[in-house]
Amino acid sequence: MIEILTDFALASGIYRFMNSAWGWPVAESIHFLGLCLLIGTVGVFDLRMMGLGNGIAYADLHKLVPIGVAGYLLNVTTGTMFLVSAPDQYIFNPAFQTKLLFMLVAGLNMLWFYGSTLAQVKTTAATAAVSNRAKLIGAISLLCWSLIIVCGRLITFFRPPYHWCFWC
Amino acid sequence: MRESGAAFFTSLTLHSLAMALVVGINLAVAFRLLGVAPGIALGPLIRFYTLHWYAAVAIFLSGLALLLAYPAKALTNPVFYLKLSALATGLVLARKIQSTVSKESLMVSGRQLQWIAGFSIALWVITITAGRFLAYTHSVLLASRFF
Repeated sequence: MIEILTDFALASGIYRFMNSAWGWPVAESIHFLGLCLLIGTVGVFDLRMMGLGNGIAYADLHKLVPIGVAGYLLNVTTGTMFLVSAPDQYIFNPAFQTKLLFMLVAGLNMLWFYGSTLAQVKTTAATAAVSNRAKLIGAISLLCWSLIIVCGRLITFFRPPYHWCFWC
Repeated sequence: MRESGAAFFTSLTLHSLAMALVVGINLAVAFRLLGVAPGIALGPLIRFYTLHWYAAVAIFLSGLALLLAYPAKALTNPVFYLKLSALATGLVLARKIQSTVSKESLMVSGRQLQWIAGFSIALWVITITAGRFLAYTHSVLLASRFF
């Protein structure tokens, strides 16, 4: 696994860029900017479903979500650059593994929302509250993204010993 | 602060969460002012600024804690002052947008508000970038180096 990721990083030029003078901080800046786009659009929509910003039409606010998706794509791209450039610091890091778990939960929660609730939310009047299910989905989404930020900070704050993992 | 892993990590995490919220809300309002999703009612949207100001207080407190942990590291780095200036100006612009929209002020035209929104986005990008570069550009870690 480590070898495959390292080979990809070397062949694609990502490793050379990330190990240049400013490669890592540039990628980190873009990663955090993507996160802010996500929180400012998807997070604000979650808060709206939870009752904040009464008077904003749900369907109108949902039009900002594509910007959040663009932010998410920035995160995935730069996140992949981090991973392939120093795979041993991520693959065996419980904080990274937990971050991926919360990303999976956030993704499943999103599928639940688009599969069952979006149409109903979009037709809800701007001054009315959405269903309890929509509120729950919003709360789960916001909690997941907050925990993803916490785990992301843990990855860089706490570097486990080489190839260390408490459940491996 | 410096020697307590939990205190330092808590401050760092709180700083990141609050920064994401402040920058996120400002970006959402700025995009709306620039014409993205024009159907969003501005009056209710700026109610999110209440949450934004709580998060700004969290940025200040956690930033102060981080500064106290490594004062020489930040205070000797010009990038720290760039971040601080961009952050402060960004918050001033946020207050300007909030008061203009809530009072439906006639002193500021829609075009001027769009310029402010564009400038605000640029300032938040500078704040984030300077914040990330802080960890890579310091030349002094501890003041004890001078003694």
